[in-house]
Amino acid sequence: MKIGRLLTVLVFVVLIPLVFCGCDRDDETIVHVDMSKREDIKVPEPEPAITYAYLPQYSHTVSYQRHNPLIEYLARETGLPIRQVFPDTFEEHRRMVERGDIDISFSNPMTYIRIAQSGARAFARIIEPSGSPTFRGQIIIRKDNRLIHSIKDCKGKRWIAVDPLSAGGYLFALGLFLKHGITTDDFSEINFAPGPGGKQEKAVLAMYAGKYDLASIREGSLDIVKDKISMDKIRILATTQAYPGWVYAARKGLSPEIVEKISRAMFKLSMNDSTQARILSTAGMRGIIPAKDSDYDSIRDLAASLGMFRENNSFREDSN
Amino acid sequence: MNLLGRLRFRTKINIGITVIVVMTALILAMFVTRMASDALVQEARKRGRVLTGNLVLRSVDPLLSVDLLQLKTMVDEITEVDSDVVYAFIEDERGRILVHTFSDGFPVELINANKVQSGSRMNIVTIDTGKEKIYDFAAPVYLVGKKIGTVRLGLSRTKVQQVTNSLILAISMLTGLALAMAVLVSTQFAKRITARIGMLREHAENLVKGNLVVNRDKKTVNTCHEIRNCGKRDCPAWQDNLRRCWYISGTKCPECGENNYPDKLTNCRNCDIYINSSGDEIQELTETFDVMANTLKYHIEDLETAQKNILRQQKLLQTILSVSPDQVSLVGTDLTYMAVNAAFARSCGKKEEEIMGMRDEDLFNEEISNKRKQEVISIFSTGKIINKENLYQPEDGDPAQWFHTIRVPVYDEDQNITGVLSTARDITELKSYQSQLIQSQKMESVGKLAGGVAHEINTPLGIILGYAQLLQEDVDPESQIYADLGIMEKQARFCRKIVADLLGFSRQTTSDKIEMCFNNSILEVVQLVTHTFKLENVSIITDLDDRYPIIQGDPEKLKQVWLNLLSNALEAMNGGGIVKIITRLDTQDMTITAFFADSGYGIAKKNLNSIFDPFFSTKPVGKGTGLGLSVSFGIIEDHGGKISVTSPLPEGILEEELPEEAGPGTLFTITLPLEPGKEKEILSSEF
Repeated sequence: MKIGRLLTVLVFVVLIPLVFCGCDRDDETIVHVDMSKREDIKVPEPEPAITYAYLPQYSHTVSYQRHNPLIEYLARETGLPIRQVFPDTFEEHRRMVERGDIDISFSNPMTYIRIAQSGARAFARIIEPSGSPTFRGQIIIRKDNRLIHSIKDCKGKRWIAVDPLSAGGYLFALGLFLKHGITTDDFSEINFAPGPGGKQEKAVLAMYAGKYDLASIREGSLDIVKDKISMDKIRILATTQAYPGWVYAARKGLSPEIVEKISRAMFKLSMNDSTQARILSTAGMRGIIPAKDSDYDSIRDLAASLGMFRENNSFREDSN
Repeated sequence: MNLLGRLRFRTKINIGITVIVVMTALILAMFVTRMASDALVQEARKRGRVLTGNLVLRSVDPLLSVDLLQLKTMVDEITEVDSDVVYAFIEDERGRILVHTFSDGFPVELINANKVQSGSRMNIVTIDTGKEKIYDFAAPVYLVGKKIGTVRLGLSRTKVQQVTNSLILAISMLTGLALAMAVLVSTQFAKRITARIGMLREHAENLVKGNLVVNRDKKTVNTCHEIRNCGKRDCPAWQDNLRRCWYISGTKCPECGENNYPDKLTNCRNCDIYINSSGDEIQELTETFDVMANTLKYHIEDLETAQKNILRQQKLLQTILSVSPDQVSLVGTDLTYMAVNAAFARSCGKKEEEIMGMRDEDLFNEEISNKRKQEVISIFSTGKIINKENLYQPEDGDPAQWFHTIRVPVYDEDQNITGVLSTARDITELKSYQSQLIQSQKMESVGKLAGGVAHEINTPLGIILGYAQLLQEDVDPESQIYADLGIMEKQARFCRKIVADLLGFSRQTTSDKIEMCFNNSILEVVQLVTHTFKLENVSIITDLDDRYPIIQGDPEKLKQVWLNLLSNALEAMNGGGIVKIITRLDTQDMTITAFFADSGYGIAKKNLNSIFDPFFSTKPVGKGTGLGLSVSFGIIEDHGGKISVTSPLPEGILEEELPEEAGPGTLFTITLPLEPGKEKEILSSEF
C-alpha cells in the first residue's frame, strides 16, 4: 500500500511538469514553406504619374507627412495620378526638375530661380502661415550674448546657417549682412546645419547651445523649437526684408492643361473649409495663390548681390 | 507488497534522497528548461520584433525615395550583423518585393506565408522549411496612416532550440553530478545514522532479553562534577558514569531546582552542562533508553522483592487456610466460589481449583444449596452476619456432623459488598462432649438421688432382713412360713445388693486406693472365671503388657469392673466364643489401657450411648439390674479414668479363629491414669 501511495505521488509530481511542458505555445502559427521554389525578382516599375516633389527641406517622412494630403487632394480634384517623389538634396531636386523627373516642384525661391534656368516655370506660390505671401529671414542670438547688440557686432563671430541654398535660413541674412558691409569673410566661422532634415531646428539649437554666436533662420522656425528651448533666452537680432515665399513650378515641357488643372485645384484650397484648412496647415501654408516668374526677381537680385549662380548670368528669362 | 517496509533503513534513506534529488532535478530541469526555452524564444521574438521595428523605421525614407540601394544595404546589414537572421526583405505598398537577402532567387511561397492583418503593427508566424523552423516577422511600414511597404524578417528558431538543448544537457549533467554527490553524501550519512540506530537496536534487544545493565563506554560520558569540579559528594550524580545528570533526580546544582526527572529537564535544557554534553536526538534516545533500562531494572528488582513477599505471604495464608480444619469459602456477587480452602474442597470431594467458579448447586443437593444460596443472598442484601450451628447429614450414610457456620460480608473500599466469606467449623465432637456432659450431669443427679434413696432405704431394709432372719429362727424350717420368710430374706438381700450398687454408683461408698498391679488385678479375675467360661465354651485370651504397670487403685472395685465386663461378655455369647483382654502401658501419657474384646452379638448402635445409664438393660426383667455397667462407669471415673465402648469390633483386635456363631463383637476400652489426679485429660484412646 505504502509503495502504491508513494508511486502515485511520484507520478503526480512528474506528470504535473510534463503537463505544463506538454502544452505547446498557443500563439504559434506554423506555416510550411518550400524554400526551394525560387524566382528572380524584378524591381517594379513605378506607374506613370505626375511627379510632385517637395524641396528636401526636411526628411522624406516629414515631406511625405506634410504634402501627402495635399497630393491626394490634388489627385482627387484633378483626376490625375500624382505621386510624390523624394530627392535627397536640393541639388538633386534641381537636377531632377531639369531631367524632367519632377513634374511639379515645390521649392524655395532661391532654388526656383535655379530651376527656372532649366525652363521650369512658377505657376503658384503659397501664403505663409503668417498669412503673408512673403517670408523673411531672422538673425537670432542668445539674449545673454553681451558682445552682439547690432548687426555690425556680428563681425568676427561664429555663424550657424541652415543651408548654403536656404533662402530664409542663410541667403536673406547674408544679403542683410552685405547691405551692412559685412561679407562672409568677416565671420570667424560660417557653418551649416547638418543632415537632410530639421536643419532650421538644428541651427537654432546649435546657437542656443552656445556653439555659435548667431544663427540665421527662416521666420517662423522658432515656433517649431519653442518646446525644446526657452524662448526667453533667444533674442531676434534682425529680420530681413520680405521676399516671396515658396513656389510651385512646373517642369519644362509639362502639359499646360495639367498645370492648369493642378493650379486650379490649388487655388481652390481655402482655410474656410475645414478639410482643406487641415490640408493646408499640414503642408505649412495658409493658401496657394497664382504666381509668375517675375515675382521672384527680388530673389534674383539678392542672388546677384550675393554673387550666386555666376556661371549663368541671366537668371531672368525676362531680362527686364 | 510491503516491500518498502522490508528495506533496510540505509537503503530507504538512499532511495529517498535519490528520489528527492531526481524529482527536484527533473522538476527543475523541466521548469528551468521550459522557462529558459520560453525566455529564449520570447527574447528571440522580442529581438525579431526590435530588428523588424528598427528596419521598419529605417526603411521609411528609402521606401519613399525608392532608394533600393539603401534598402538592400539595410537588409544585407541586418543579416550580417545578426547570424540568427535567416533572411530579410522589403515589399512595397502593393506587396511587391523591392529588396531581399536571398542570393539565388526569392522563394516565392514566402511572400504569402505571413500576411499582416490590416491595422496590425506586426504579425509573427513560425515557418517550417522542412530543415529548420523560422520565426517570420512581418511589419507594415505606415506613414500618415498609409501603408507604404512591408518589412519581413526571418529569425532562426533552430538556433534558439540548440541553445535550449545545450541548456538541457548542462542541467542534466549538473543533475547527474548533484545526484552522484547526494547519493555519496547520503550513503555516508545513512551509514552513520544506521550504525547508531543499529547500536540502539542492539541496546533495545538487550533490554527485551532482560539485560537491563547499561554497558555504555564510560569514557564517552564526562560527568557534570568532572566538568564543574563542584566536589559535591552528596549529589546523586557524583561519580555516576552511567547516567547523565539531567536524568538524575535530586541533583545539587544550584540551577537544578527541586523538580524530579522528567520535570527538571525544563531547567536542564538551559544549563551549560546540558548544552555542551547533550548529543543529537539519537544520542538522547540512547541515553533515555539507558535511563529507562536503569529505572526498569530498579522497578523489576522492587517488583521481584514485592512478589517474593507476596508469594511468601500467599503461601503462608494458603498453608494456614489449608491446614485449618475449618471449611473456608468466599462467594462472589455472582454467587460463584472465588476461593475455598482445602478443608472445604475435601468436604465437597473436589479439588480446590475445580470449585472456582462453581455455584452451590454444582456442589450440594438442592435442599442444601438453596439454603446456602438464600443465606448468601440475604447477606448481600442486608449485610448481616450469620452465626449459627447446623446439622449436616451426609448422603452416604456417614454419621451426622454438626457445624458452626459464620458467614460475613466482604466489603470493598467503597463499602459495597463484594463477597461472602463463610467459615464452617466441625463441632460434632464438641456437640458429643456437650451431650456427654449433660449425660454425666444427669448421672450425677441420678446418683445423688439414688444414693440418698438407698441410704434411707438401707436401714429399714436391714431391719426387715434382720426381722426376717429372727422370725425364721422362731418357725419350723419345714413350714410354709419359713419358706416365705426365706423368700423375704432373699428378696431383702436382693434389695440390699441393689442399694449397695446404687451406693457404689453414687460413689457414696468409700474406696481405698493402694498401689496395685494392674495386670494381676485382671489375672485374678480371669483365673476366677476361667472355669465357668470354659463350661460355656468361651475361652479367655490375655495379652498383657509385660511391664506390669503399677497403678493407684482399689483392687476390689476394679476386680468388680473386670468381673462385670467379663460376665457381660459371657452373656453376649451363646454357644461359645472368645474374650480377649489386652493391656497396654503408655509411658508418655502415664496411662494404662485395658481392652476387653469379645466375639458376642455386639451392641446395637442406638444403645451405644445408653449402656452406661443406670437401670439400662437389654436383659429380660429379673435377669439384671441394669446397674453393672453404670457402677463400672462410676468406679472407673472414681479412678480418674475413662471407659468407652465400640461395637462392632474394630479390625485387627481379634485375629484368632472365631466360632461360626460369633457376632460382630464388642470392645470395651478402659484407660486409667497411673497416678490418679495427675492424669492428662483422656479424650480418646487409640489402639
